[in-house]
Amino acid sequence: MFQSIAGKANLEKADLEPALKALKDRLMTKNVAEEIAEKLCESVAFSLVGKKLASFTRVSSTVQAAMEDALVRILTPRRSIDILRDVHVSKEQRKPYVVVFVGVNGVGKSTNLAKVAYWLQQHDINVMMAACDTFRSGAVEQLRTHARRLQIPIFEKGYEKDPAILVECRTMNLLMRALSKLIYVNSPDLVLFVGEALVGNDAVDQLSKFNHKLADLSPSPTPRLIDGILLTKFDTIDDKVGAALSMVYISGAPVMFVGCGQSYTDLKKLNVKSIVKTLLK
Amino acid sequence: MVLAELGGSISRALQQMSNATIIDEKVLNDCLNEITRALLQSDVQFKLVRDMQANIKKIVNLDDLAAGHNKRRIIQQAIFTELCKMLDPGKPSFTPKKSKPSVVMFVGLQGSGKTTTCTKYAYYHQKKGWKPALVCADTFRAGAFDQLKQNATKAKIPFYGSYMESDPVKIAVEGVERFKKENCDLIIVDTSGRHKQEVALFEEMRQVSEATKPDLVIFVMDSSIGQAAFDQAQAFKQSVAVGAVIVTKMDGHAKGGGALSAVAATKSPVIFIGTGEHMDEFETFDVKPFVSRLLGMGDLSGFMDK
Ligand SMILES: Nc1nc2c(ncn2[C@@H]2O[C@H](COP(=O)(O)OP(=O)(O)OP(=O)(O)O)[C@@H](O)[C@H]2O)c(=O)[nH]1
Ligand SMILES: Nc1nc2c(ncn2[C@@H]2O[C@H](COP(=O)(O)OP(=O)(O)OP(=O)(O)O)[C@@H](O)[C@H]2O)c(=O)[nH]1
Ligand SMILES: [Mg+2]
Ligand SMILES: [Mg+2]
Repeated sequence: MFQSIAGKANLEKADLEPALKALKDRLMTKNVAEEIAEKLCESVAFSLVGKKLASFTRVSSTVQAAMEDALVRILTPRRSIDILRDVHVSKEQRKPYVVVFVGVNGVGKSTNLAKVAYWLQQHDINVMMAACDTFRSGAVEQLRTHARRLQIPIFEKGYEKDPAILVECRTMNLLMRALSKLIYVNSPDLVLFVGEALVGNDAVDQLSKFNHKLADLSPSPTPRLIDGILLTKFDTIDDKVGAALSMVYISGAPVMFVGCGQSYTDLKKLNVKSIVKTLLK
Repeated sequence: MVLAELGGSISRALQQMSNATIIDEKVLNDCLNEITRALLQSDVQFKLVRDMQANIKKIVNLDDLAAGHNKRRIIQQAIFTELCKMLDPGKPSFTPKKSKPSVVMFVGLQGSGKTTTCTKYAYYHQKKGWKPALVCADTFRAGAFDQLKQNATKAKIPFYGSYMESDPVKIAVEGVERFKKENCDLIIVDTSGRHKQEVALFEEMRQVSEATKPDLVIFVMDSSIGQAAFDQAQAFKQSVAVGAVIVTKMDGHAKGGGALSAVAATKSPVIFIGTGEHMDEFETFDVKPFVSRLLGMGDLSGFMDK
């Protein structure tokens, strides 16, 4: 199927098709959303059509190499956010640095908020938590438990000076208006979208609908959108790492943290190389 | 409606095929490709989809069809059969009987909706005159007991749990014993979220199950789950006797195909779906009418018997 066509003039779409189809299937078995896998293959085709195949290379390896480039490009953040540096800048201005955690039900907002709090503490930053989830049973107790274990105050009313404040909010449809307002009024320094690595094609909808809603509901002409992604439950998916790609592709936001377990230390940075390798394996 | 988009895509693909003047290899392939794509977009496991495609092709085998056979009907029937096979494990799950004590244990991945669904399940039966009770055997998650307690209190359902005890097996056994004595006929045990990669967590689940001897183990799955659904569901099934599936968060925009994969992996039927965060946002689920609706077919269900 992937015969060498070296010597032929220029690559045509039809030459690429079988290799692209196989690659698309591979991406989908790794849990990349169908729409995203399709778009990626289209853009790889676009970049190769009309090019000459280097001698002694097979179409399939050429396609694979082009896909690898594309994946690295997508997953490597264009804008880098250095939270620690930004927290210190805020501190010098005697302002708190506010992070809002948003995401759909049960993805791991509370748990990973606690992990980020712990990580900030390790860097000698004073942290406070604010529980905005007054709806779900036990939600406040859950956050209080983490706060007690980490010896972090829970934010009730009034603004304190200096610390980094971590706020959890859920993104039910009904709550979207309130959330959008909260984001506008409090103008947090960072809006983190929490998404789980388990999610399939819904990753695309979750993020795009969320950004659209934020834009639509924002009372300001320059709405705040998602700044970064916190990818949770990375320890539950083996090699099916595709949700990371779907989320970054659709939002353009970088994965800033990866949650890989249920304890405070289970927070890592995204390893782009290893993700790309796993996706193409 | 659940999986409605999938149903729509499949009917469209079938319709397109019906519009073609002659049905040849190409028309069949186009139709199957469309259906395959719809299933993959709904998060059905890749391998299941591939197998289904191959099976349909085998059944249909255009070359073997003698002239005069109704190809369209044969193709439609093959698709219907394969979908039913995926969704319908063929045997109903254990159904608790009123006034006869049953223990039902809830298991599933982290955050899938177990605790919420436990209360919904209890509340559903309470309204029908049962005497349900809730046992919190999740000693791990922060705030787990508070969550169950607040839900149970709201629904006026008796509950058992502890802030101090850290052994879920002990609590589960104590809770089940207590409620058996109190003549509850539906004792529901909520457990911590877990995943197959952490062996100790699965061992703990096995122990809770061994100690409480549940009549039914329900696997709770989030409708938004992707390709990891099958492997996880299968691993749960291999550790404890999963007998039924409940799919949650069907009120979101998830396509719910991971649920089909879980049915295939556990060979257990979906018995309820969760459609919201509130106690009463809970619906029973029947496979057969669902598949008919999925395929948008009053007309199609008829051809089965023709
Ligand atoms: N394995 C694993 N489990 C996680 C991870 N992050 C969170 N969890 C678990 O996922 C479950 C849900 O986490 P929560 O933090 O309560 O999720 P949430 O988004 O705040 O949930 P709601 O507030 O109910 O919407 C808990 O059992 C957590 O322990 C992770 O990185 N890996
Ligand atoms: N929209 C919606 N939310 C749901 C549904 N079922 C559960 N949830 C929400 O999903 C989140 C997680 O639910 P839980 O019941 O805490 O999940 P769990 O499986 O017990 O979580 P762990 O014990 O941490 O593993 C909560 O915010 C629930 O309110 C549903 O059918 N629809
Ligand atoms: Mg929470
Ligand atoms: Mg729970």
